[in-house]
Amino acid sequence: MAAIDVRDLRKTFPSRRGAPVEAVGGISFAVEAGERLAYIGPNGAGKSTSIKMLTGILYPSSGEATVLGIVPWKRRRELAARIGTLFGQRSQLWYQLTPRQTYSLLARIYRISDQEERRRVDELGELLDARGLFDQPVRSMSLGQRMRCELVASMLHAPEVLFLDEPTIGLDLVAKARFRDLIVRINQERGTTILLTSHDVSDIEQVARRVIVINHGRLIYDDRVSVMRRALLGTKVLDVRFAHPPGDVQVDGARLVKLTGAGAKLEVDTGARPIRSVLDDLLDRYQVVDISVADPPLEEIVSHIYARPL
Amino acid sequence: MSPYLAGWRLGLLRTLRSPGDLSVRIGFFAVILLVMSALWGTAIDANGGQLEGYTRSSLLWYVFAAQTAVLGVRPRSVEEIGDEIGGGAIAIQMLRPVSVVGLRMAIDLGEACARMAVAFVAGAALTWLFAGPPPSLSALAMAVPAIALGASANIASSHAFGGVAFWLLDAKSTWFLYQKLVFIPGGMLIPLDLLPRPLEVVCAVLPFATMAYVPGKIASGDANPLLLLWQVGWLAALLALAAGVFAAGERRLQVMGG
Repeated sequence: MAAIDVRDLRKTFPSRRGAPVEAVGGISFAVEAGERLAYIGPNGAGKSTSIKMLTGILYPSSGEATVLGIVPWKRRRELAARIGTLFGQRSQLWYQLTPRQTYSLLARIYRISDQEERRRVDELGELLDARGLFDQPVRSMSLGQRMRCELVASMLHAPEVLFLDEPTIGLDLVAKARFRDLIVRINQERGTTILLTSHDVSDIEQVARRVIVINHGRLIYDDRVSVMRRALLGTKVLDVRFAHPPGDVQVDGARLVKLTGAGAKLEVDTGARPIRSVLDDLLDRYQVVDISVADPPLEEIVSHIYARPL
Repeated sequence: MSPYLAGWRLGLLRTLRSPGDLSVRIGFFAVILLVMSALWGTAIDANGGQLEGYTRSSLLWYVFAAQTAVLGVRPRSVEEIGDEIGGGAIAIQMLRPVSVVGLRMAIDLGEACARMAVAFVAGAALTWLFAGPPPSLSALAMAVPAIALGASANIASSHAFGGVAFWLLDAKSTWFLYQKLVFIPGGMLIPLDLLPRPLEVVCAVLPFATMAYVPGKIASGDANPLLLLWQVGWLAALLALAAGVFAAGERRLQVMGG
């Protein structure tokens, strides 16, 4: 049996002005137990609304779904005991208290004994490298530290499925990389099914093995991340700042997208020439002050998906 | 330990760990007692030492108990509940295998108990100082459960009123109305006995009277156990109402986006 099974799920919100808003417009997919799925799309695509229906917070307008064999919106509390959730923009920790005090309340909510609570908190603290944070007030933590403590709260009751809604939003690069690693470890060591929403392409590449892309509430892509990488993630974007305005930038394998004074944006087709070779060339030929390498924005990937031959 | 008892304990701890906030509230409470003492003292002196059966002392003990019961509840509670519902923060609370409204009320009651305990000790000392000993020590002892029941009714009622945000997406106007209901029909500002008779009768049958008037009435020397029973009855009704509002509201929650 699939851990998550979704069939023609729709959600329309009433609008005070004009026509109702269709947030999710009939999506179907299944997720096997132990999978790591990235559920991605641009802002307003319907990702969070889908998660809210799959966790039982929202009633769908039509369609069916089961999570661990349970219809979420009919038996929300029963499902809540078996799933974990982490919303990057909403905290489940109390700011005035230490994480350990919140864990203590969560342990009572999930009917975990004192002894078992201590064991799990220690174990998760070890796994997520967060033990040193448990006794300091949440309000004094950095976002990265808080997110690690949030993840412990989400995992305390050993959920079978973990829903992560934009968990890396606002984190710096180092904290993001660390957080992604933690999610993979949870999946590998505990077999927890992961459903991750994000609009950061790096989250997908580094965490998930399968990717579903939705746009305007509709599923437009469903494949392995390795396939997507070959088909749609063949470019990198370079943001370069030169010591002096270069006039023009010409490097083999890189296309100049924008040139503004001493700053330039270049697109590199990594299939035609490796990124390292382009960087070497760039550094040899120009006086570069700063450089960053990024994935193309999700909106661009979505437009590539639409542009693919059917 | 049940999740609700754990929630109560968390609320208690949370309040005790914010001594600054607690001190400000108690300081404000002392000011109210001082002002009321001067105000009612003048009114009663001008009326020959009595007002509808209240002496200066009994009226100040009324004010003490009524204010203590109301002080326990966060003043903007209804508005905050509305903001959490309208803004979608309530969704996180719905992802737990417990009653959302039950856990919320348990936490709020824990906070209220911490505030009321401090307010009771500080307020009783100040009132004793301003007004002399209470009219009856047994009535003062009976005011303790009455204050707790009054605050509980206030918390349950706040959730029922705040829960309208499931439909209106906001509870600011509801909070404005609610605040006035606790002030006048609740007997927080003036004992109901001092209102014109028809208004007194109407206010006395409303649940708001159990939140301030009943604790005040008992502390002023009227140790009638039926008053406690009246509070228990309304508390049960308000708990059922809050649970009903949240149960219906959770089914129609509309939260768009992250």
